[in-house]
Amino acid sequence: MRYGERRLHPGVYEMQEQLRRGRCDRREFLRTVCLLGVSASAAYAMAGRILGERLVDPVAAQAAKQPCRGGILRVSMEVPEIRDPATFDWVQKSNCTRHMLEYLTYTGPDGVTRPYLAERWEASEDLKTWTFYLRRGVKWSNGDTFNADDVVFNFTRWLDPKTGSSNLGLFSAMTEEYDTGEKNPDGTPKKGRRMLAGAVEKVDEFTVRLHLSRPSLSIPENLWNYPTAIVHRGFDEHGSDIFKWPVGTGPYSIADYAVGAKCILKRRPGTYWGETLDDPYIGGPIWLDEIHYYDHGAASAAQLAAFASGQVDMVHEFGKDSYQMAQAIPGAVVYDARTAHTCVMRMQVDVKPFDDWRVRRAIQLCCDASVYPDLIYFGRGMVGEHHHVAPIHPEYFKLPPLKQDHEQARKLLAEAGYGNGLTISIDCGNTNGPWQQQMAELFREQLRPAGITLNINVMPPSQYWEIWTKTPFGVTEWYHRPLGTMVLSLAYRCGVPWNESHYCNPDFEAALDAAEATLDVEQRRRLMEKVESILQHDAVIVQPLWIPRLYAAHQRVRNLVPDPSGYHLFHRVWIDAC
Amino acid sequence: MLVLAARRFGAMVLIMAVISLILFLIFETDKLAVAGKVLGPYSTIEQRELWLEQHGYNRPFFVRYGEWVWSALHGDFGTSIRFKVPVSDLLWERLANTGLLAGLVFLFMIPLSLTLGVLAGMREGSKTDRLISLVSIVTTSTPEFASAAFLVALFVFHLGWLPGTSAMTSGFDPWQLVLPVTVLVLYDFGYVARMTRASMAEVMTSQYIRTAILKGLPRSRVILVHALRNALIAPFTVIVLQLNWLLSGVIVVEVFFAYKGFGSLLYEAATFGDIFLIEACTIVAVFVAVFSQFISDIGYMLLNPRIRFR
Repeated sequence: MRYGERRLHPGVYEMQEQLRRGRCDRREFLRTVCLLGVSASAAYAMAGRILGERLVDPVAAQAAKQPCRGGILRVSMEVPEIRDPATFDWVQKSNCTRHMLEYLTYTGPDGVTRPYLAERWEASEDLKTWTFYLRRGVKWSNGDTFNADDVVFNFTRWLDPKTGSSNLGLFSAMTEEYDTGEKNPDGTPKKGRRMLAGAVEKVDEFTVRLHLSRPSLSIPENLWNYPTAIVHRGFDEHGSDIFKWPVGTGPYSIADYAVGAKCILKRRPGTYWGETLDDPYIGGPIWLDEIHYYDHGAASAAQLAAFASGQVDMVHEFGKDSYQMAQAIPGAVVYDARTAHTCVMRMQVDVKPFDDWRVRRAIQLCCDASVYPDLIYFGRGMVGEHHHVAPIHPEYFKLPPLKQDHEQARKLLAEAGYGNGLTISIDCGNTNGPWQQQMAELFREQLRPAGITLNINVMPPSQYWEIWTKTPFGVTEWYHRPLGTMVLSLAYRCGVPWNESHYCNPDFEAALDAAEATLDVEQRRRLMEKVESILQHDAVIVQPLWIPRLYAAHQRVRNLVPDPSGYHLFHRVWIDAC
Repeated sequence: MLVLAARRFGAMVLIMAVISLILFLIFETDKLAVAGKVLGPYSTIEQRELWLEQHGYNRPFFVRYGEWVWSALHGDFGTSIRFKVPVSDLLWERLANTGLLAGLVFLFMIPLSLTLGVLAGMREGSKTDRLISLVSIVTTSTPEFASAAFLVALFVFHLGWLPGTSAMTSGFDPWQLVLPVTVLVLYDFGYVARMTRASMAEVMTSQYIRTAILKGLPRSRVILVHALRNALIAPFTVIVLQLNWLLSGVIVVEVFFAYKGFGSLLYEAATFGDIFLIEACTIVAVFVAVFSQFISDIGYMLLNPRIRFR
């Protein structure tokens, strides 16, 4: 069924909206839309699409059309260069290899991280020692057995500065600073990072232990990050080029590939190890014969045109400006995955006038975040709460909503000495589209009644990325991350490189430390209340909106699950009437 | 005439030399930036310096420039940073694709615009002239991105008759050329038709045409034998100059339809910062520009005796 199907009871659309914004829960949604005449299986499908879950209705599962083996899934997506998976810097690169090279863990669209090539893992009480038990019986496509040597080889490779992998930063708790023996232009010794001796230990043939210098909560999530695909231990001996030596553990293999043109994956003969696995996303039989990626350029107009004329079955991603066009294509199902992708209007807390908490709080109090999804994203996306933890994060704690209060804002401004009005300007680079500017313009109107004049200084994206840590007031884009604590650590800890607001609050960091040291999600969520309240109350950012990830596929593509990260994993996808 | 041709040729070589030097100055003066582009953002300074040493970048600027020109003359432009294949492999294939597109555009555009231009210019101010002029002006003033979007909305999204992109992902498919060729012909024919019309109208008012008509020759003979040859001199130059536009000026259409041509290659090279590819594409584009100018000058001389014997 398509979004925008007109025959439904209008109340169904309203319920979809409410579910999307988190104003009703899943159970209430299912109950209400079924009362409004929607069949149970359709209701489950709707809820699944909105919440990013699979169909789980057991009755529907039996009655649903039987998947069939075979068929080709054609996807329009940029095809970049994919030599060395450790150096991937685009999700699209990893999508080209994800059906061939696998990962130790897997974070589902529901935000839960599950075992993949690792069968299970344990963390020590202090979160400084992680033990991964690897799955037995996994074979590489060249016949070798997957074992601990492969994992040790990959970690060693990622954390070797010569590889040039961004994993060096991801696993920084396993690295140390060292003197490269060279000098910087100013004469100081040049420093680099490398793996701590003994940070990765082979316990036995199928067990690997990681030793960290400080606690880290996100090791399992990091292992599903796109540059952490596990390559064969002989990867470097065979030229460090995955296309020239395509050995993987996954069900597919690269048959043809040309940068900027195509990447063709074909199912390998024989049985795939994962087919016997009991997992809702990666287990069970593999249906598709081939997966084709075609590069139509990054312009979503060409991608959608290819989709509309049936040249491809799916479009990897498109911008909000193409939303209505995509919805109008016959047979198209538009997916809008809820994400933790956002833009924050952040203030530097050590620069006048933002060094005064009363000014920042007044600015924040002018914001009525509830109108942004409707006015900017056709009602898609979610309302932000000025603390940079998204409702889809597993540890998200719902704070009482922050109400717009111009009266209080004026009072605070007067106390701060701006009783006659305040003029500020914000830098905006539209780094992922003009919606950022629309957001700033909307905010400008909301600031006006409190006597604040906002000037918006629009600049090209590349120019904004040069000043994003320097400007006193700017609109900065932050990508989706599976855990809320990840971005808080990156952006709001005292003195870290990406702390663009210069925010430094020991209470906040202590609360964040406590949350990050807690493995149990329920317990961590309770601790997050304090973290989120402090950040919101300190008024460092104004963050009215979480944007959705939009993509489309033809309705014949079955069992596709909206994923916030844009990672493709088509193990359970099949083509209707293939 | 030979002297004139030689002089034109000399000027052409000089322009190419100056532009190649400017290009090299812009892209290869900052050696570390070149190495950074090639090795990627995560490469260390040591890796970059090592790469520079290995690839002879530590030699004097003019030695490097000379070597680059010498290799370029032999068709070797280095290896593309983005596509990881020799630039020449990409370049000729993409040029051939754009050549095909340009050829098809000429095939439809030249007869169409000449016919319409002659029809309009034969009787200046007639209803036919007014209608043709109106259509020509409207189509020429509509930019390609607008007509492309309009045609795609109509034939791809609404009617579903034509494929929406022209990437030829599953082998050559002539249907995929219909939309890009149509967009380019629509944009270009009006201009050439207007030039032909002006030229034809001018010839039709000349004395020798009046004499021919007064002699009692049939009108068709006057037009076909006497008027046409002279009227086509100006359009010839205009058409040859379209060659330049069709090779390097069709970026919008190629990107819009995801056609793997020279224009989209230039666009990708520029957005990705693929230095060696940008250099190669620019040199080829400059060559096409000055060479089409050269051809049009020589052709004009051959067609117009007044210039030839001066």
